[in-house]
Amino acid sequence: MPLSPHVLRELERIVGTAGLVVSHEGLLTYECDMHTFYKGAPEAVVLPESAAQVAEVVRLCRREHVPIVPRGSGTGLIGGAMAAAGGVMVSMTRMNRIVELDFANRCATVQPGLINLWLSQATRAGGYFFAPDPSSQMVSSIGGNASTNAGGPHCLKYGITVNHILGLEVVTGAGELVRLGGKTHERPGYDLTGVMVGAEGTLGLVTGVVVRLTHLPESVKTILASFPTIEDASETVSAIIRAGIIPAALEMLDEVVIRAIEEGIHAGYPKGAGAVLLIELDGPVAEIEAQAAPIEAICREHLALEIRVARDEAERALLWKGRKEAAGVFGRLTPNWLLQDAVVPRSRLPEIMRELQEIGARHRVVIANVFHAGDGNLHPLICYDDRVPGELERAKQANEELLHACLRLGGSVTGEHGVGLDKCESLPLQFAPADLNFMARLRRTFDPDSIMNPGKLLPSHPACGEGFRPTARPLPSGTWI
Amino acid sequence: MAVSTPALHDALGDLVGAPHLLRDPAALPAYAVDGVVPGAVVRPGSAEEVSRVLALCATEGLAVVPRGAGRAMGLGNPPRRLDVVLELARLTAVREYVPEDMVATVDAGLTLGGLAARLAPQRQMLALDPPGGLARSVGGVLATHASGPLRFRYGTGRDLLLGARFVQADGTLTWGGARVVKSVTGYDVPKLLVGSLGTLAVLVEATLRLHPIPPARRSWQVSLPSAPAAADFVAALLDSPLQPDRAALLDEAALRRAGVTPQPIALLLSIGSVAEAVEQQGSALAALARGHGARVDAVPESAWGGLGEAVAAPVLLRLACEPRRLLHWLTTAQAAAGRLGVEVASLAQPGHGVLQMAVRGAAAPRTLGAELVGPLRSGVESEGGSLMVEGAPSELKAICEAWGSINLENMAIMRRIKTEFDPAGCLSPGRFVGGL
Repeated sequence: MPLSPHVLRELERIVGTAGLVVSHEGLLTYECDMHTFYKGAPEAVVLPESAAQVAEVVRLCRREHVPIVPRGSGTGLIGGAMAAAGGVMVSMTRMNRIVELDFANRCATVQPGLINLWLSQATRAGGYFFAPDPSSQMVSSIGGNASTNAGGPHCLKYGITVNHILGLEVVTGAGELVRLGGKTHERPGYDLTGVMVGAEGTLGLVTGVVVRLTHLPESVKTILASFPTIEDASETVSAIIRAGIIPAALEMLDEVVIRAIEEGIHAGYPKGAGAVLLIELDGPVAEIEAQAAPIEAICREHLALEIRVARDEAERALLWKGRKEAAGVFGRLTPNWLLQDAVVPRSRLPEIMRELQEIGARHRVVIANVFHAGDGNLHPLICYDDRVPGELERAKQANEELLHACLRLGGSVTGEHGVGLDKCESLPLQFAPADLNFMARLRRTFDPDSIMNPGKLLPSHPACGEGFRPTARPLPSGTWI
Repeated sequence: MAVSTPALHDALGDLVGAPHLLRDPAALPAYAVDGVVPGAVVRPGSAEEVSRVLALCATEGLAVVPRGAGRAMGLGNPPRRLDVVLELARLTAVREYVPEDMVATVDAGLTLGGLAARLAPQRQMLALDPPGGLARSVGGVLATHASGPLRFRYGTGRDLLLGARFVQADGTLTWGGARVVKSVTGYDVPKLLVGSLGTLAVLVEATLRLHPIPPARRSWQVSLPSAPAAADFVAALLDSPLQPDRAALLDEAALRRAGVTPQPIALLLSIGSVAEAVEQQGSALAALARGHGARVDAVPESAWGGLGEAVAAPVLLRLACEPRRLLHWLTTAQAAAGRLGVEVASLAQPGHGVLQMAVRGAAAPRTLGAELVGPLRSGVESEGGSLMVEGAPSELKAICEAWGSINLENMAIMRRIKTEFDPAGCLSPGRFVGGL
């Protein structure tokens, strides 16, 4: 339903002409996030410059019953930052400043559109960094990270985004501009900050973030170990965790991915291995040296072909470049893919990887793997070619079976990407009706008129899974998982 | 309906078995919450029984206060009304524990000590150590958001609770979160329950993130001549690559009560890691401390055991401020106490800006309220902090609201949440912020 002229006039009054996008071509830029399956352009995009403007926009939309969709950098992988039900999209790209660096309290106050990596760059000289490091960190925004409770390779040791958010400024779906939490580490009352993080814009819009800064580790050691098979690598992961060692990061890449990376990025990963583990230790020198020895021994016990330690920062950066930009080179392997983000208990990793390979074989699809093995957080990419009749259907069946297998093992539908539009129909696999009902009621307390990112996160909304016909097209490079 | 109705008691007894219903008038005062004596104590033996009890209470409009091990019942305001104390001490099972996953799912009534005993053979732990906490229940520690020195490295229940099974006010058994270490499926419902003091639901089962017990560990007492010296040292410690796993800051009174050699002010610090790193970090720590004019003494593990004693007092306050302001508020409180002729023993979480103050002495509640709690609270609140009364005699609670002021917009949202999930106000009515 098009916005009425008086709503458009009001929006223009609030954000100014430069902050309003209504042209057809302009709106197309905003029709999807990195999950290009789901498309839905908003009727208007506003680019506010202040929390007060955001609050005015929300109040207007509430009065006019217009849906609101928040958007950070649009790097999500779940169809979250797209206008499933039309309405107004609020893009935070003009609110991208660091408001305050407060090293004495080891925190920073930032606007939601600030790019994740910029904060670590700005704090590095002071000896600090912002620990959540989703692979998209050079382009994704901290507001988006907070809204999706983003993870990343190093959350194995440092925890996910919510563990690093001290406070938020938000505009709720009820139009309230409110500060939750702050520089203090605890306060009386319900943990509204904790509820808001990961709510994917369904409770309100994040207009400011107070984040914890983490001291840079004394030293870092990055190890690349290659294995004949993915089973050997999986057993190695389980054995490392079993030994009571929690590395800073513990990532796995399989043969298919290694090949793509080497063709595209030349990160120096060994070709021909069934899988590699990228293991990073950080902390006091004595600690990482003492942990590296047993890790290398465990790798050898599990038939490691080669164990390579990055000799300097340049080598380390190259190894990580391969990992973080892995998804960007997938276009070399397959025209299309489905991506999953399910989690299994980490002891079940060898089991699920065996099952994954069986599922791929059964449905005749290639499943490539690059994922956070230490957490049990899978990222299988199920490859298909939409020009070949039946491939999409087989890929979907494989996807579905794999998800069911993960949940049978006691896992979770999504470990870090979020639910969005993509996974809301899967929630009943993990939650009973009473559990979902609790969440729906919680949503209502923040968003009484159901205007905030409707159709996302929960399955009950009628818009969920309806009215959006998948339009398969190659994903652009620059997808980060 | 009044809970004294024998038929209602019979019905509760039928739900949990008569031996698990306490209605002897002589025994009930021991279960009073801030002086309010319940009509009955019910001890369910399963989550399903909790569900049936709450369903019955909801139907009959009975006010219920959940209770774990009963060690932190002083937190919060006196309940507006109280019919049933729901004691979860029979729920003590470890439901699932896979050491390789470093995750355990346990009943809410299990004590931290009981859980530690189950995990120790695998050299794993739940990294939650509120002072005096081994006898406390998992559910109680989570519901009160209690924490201790391990917070320095591992955070609090907020960071460690992965999933929660809970019973809503109407008796609906509900699950939130996940059984794996990483999940963003749906809202983070467990976060809502941590620190909610049983006002939204009754936690019956917790899925917890565990950590390996470090292979080696040593502790030190770093004694400093003055609060400013301590502030400088804490700042230097936090700005260093040193990684203690536990940290506590104690003033002279707290050190004495904890049975540790008294000093004007001191930090207890421990480093847990592989043996080589403990040695290396220990030396670096000592050097840093001596550089700040500190005396450094190695202390036995038992030094940590006295923290519960340090903060055992009829009046216990909990102040949260910006971390850099910690020593300022510690000395401000000491000065105010000195003027009143009472003793404040302070135990703080350096790095997190949390200060527990145990007040002993013969000041009248009105004086304590007007001269200590009131000024401290208004001062720290003006900086965005808070002052909670964690425990106090009823006379003091009557003067000082337990939580302090919450900003209006926050309060409006919290009120909507409470009204949504407990519309009749049956769960711990009046105990939480703003009279929720």
